[in-house]
Amino acid sequence: MTDLDRLNVLLRSIVAEGGADGPRRIGAACVELLPVAGSAITLMTGTDAQEPVYASDAVVSQLDALQFSLGEGPCVEAFAERRPVLITDLAEVADGRWPMFAHAARDTPVRGLFVFPLQLGAITVGVLDLYRLEPGGLAGDGLAGALRAADAALWSLLGLRAGETLNTTTNGTGSKDLPGWLSGAPLHRSEVYQATGMIIGQLDVTAAIALAKLRGFAFAHDRPIDEVARDVVARRLQFDDEELG
Amino acid sequence: MNTADDHEPALAEALVHLADTLVDDYDVIDLLDRLTEYCVRLLPIDAAGLVLSDQRGHLRVVSSSTEQAQVMELFQLEADEGPCLDSFHTGEPVTAPDLHEPTEQWPRFAEHAVHAGFRSVHALPMRLRNETIGALNLFRTEPGTLAQTDLRIGQALADMATIGILHEQTIRRADVLAEQLQGALNSRVIIEQAKGVLSGRSQLDLAQAFTLLRNHSRNTNQRLSDLALSVITDRTAADLLLHPTIHPRRSHRDGDQP
Repeated sequence: MTDLDRLNVLLRSIVAEGGADGPRRIGAACVELLPVAGSAITLMTGTDAQEPVYASDAVVSQLDALQFSLGEGPCVEAFAERRPVLITDLAEVADGRWPMFAHAARDTPVRGLFVFPLQLGAITVGVLDLYRLEPGGLAGDGLAGALRAADAALWSLLGLRAGETLNTTTNGTGSKDLPGWLSGAPLHRSEVYQATGMIIGQLDVTAAIALAKLRGFAFAHDRPIDEVARDVVARRLQFDDEELG
Repeated sequence: MNTADDHEPALAEALVHLADTLVDDYDVIDLLDRLTEYCVRLLPIDAAGLVLSDQRGHLRVVSSSTEQAQVMELFQLEADEGPCLDSFHTGEPVTAPDLHEPTEQWPRFAEHAVHAGFRSVHALPMRLRNETIGALNLFRTEPGTLAQTDLRIGQALADMATIGILHEQTIRRADVLAEQLQGALNSRVIIEQAKGVLSGRSQLDLAQAFTLLRNHSRNTNQRLSDLALSVITDRTAADLLLHPTIHPRRSHRDGDQP
């Protein structure tokens, strides 16, 4: 079993178990099984509004605090641009790309810095950042593992936020969609995104709430989420105020 | 049906347009969408689709010449089985000249492709140095193999997609591939969500919703992914697309945050 396999198994069980310590366990799993020295998970509601939920050590929390107080840096950029920002060597970052942050970061021992947005389309909840003390990229299994950790952190945070919705509509055991974020299906099927959009249109809610409604309905009726999504897309199932519960 | 000779002017126009796009600040997803459109216009094929590696071990559909559900479904199925996946793994073109012939390689794929009305398929790899990042799928309703010239044009369009994903100005930075791939995949998710919003607020089906989105983006010179995002986060933007003549009431949804 490779470290990537071990990480997958661990992430899967962390997300399936849920709970408030999910982000902490995911961050710790990254440090244990990925070629990185530390990790942090930060909730963000905008480029200037954030709340750290996990930091493996003082180095990474300082680095994050620095970015957020300066209002620039890889975390802010990854969140705003909705894509990873991968820095192989902070000491080599061109002047002009985050001038204040790059200058200040040279006083820390961090060299490689890899930031992944926690997102699904229009839904963005924060960032995962991983750092190394030596320069160098995050390739192959390391990259795949980091992307999966970011997926897991997204689902963990969405689960916490949607906890109320899910708890009131769940029959307790249904968690059929949970392995989906790892296997590529069914949560990565277009119907799930399209159905999320249909629910936004029908209920006039945010994308995150629409996705929570879809998942909640699937849990409550003990059906796979992609099957429910197909019903929504085919207009066989309409979310209206009654579904709000 | 086009032949290599009579599509020369169209090919020149496509090249000029794509080159223009690549020097501007462009939207990757918009470029990939146009590329699949060009495939159908330039080659004797009936549908084209691009799939990209999600870098977690799977392929994901990122653009298609048609948003027709059955075809999209077929592209999605190819993430698990089919010529695209084979082409992605081997880095070589893969051809299935007659899907009516019994196949042991991809029984499920062949069945779905025939059901969707296709008879033959070519998959061309999207290669970058020693890595394959995705594949271009060319479907035909007729059996047979494409002419060499057509295959070369198809490969050039696949290569153009690869170049488009790697912004020229950042190509020297080491990890830019992962940043761009993940960004493009997320843009596709945003577009699917936006199609849903437009469809959910009207009687349009998803393919019609996409056409509305694409036409509006081109007519107003907005980036497709920016427009899609505003449709999801701002009700007014969705209403403007659906009811351009009616003055919409002002209504903003809150941001998508905890």
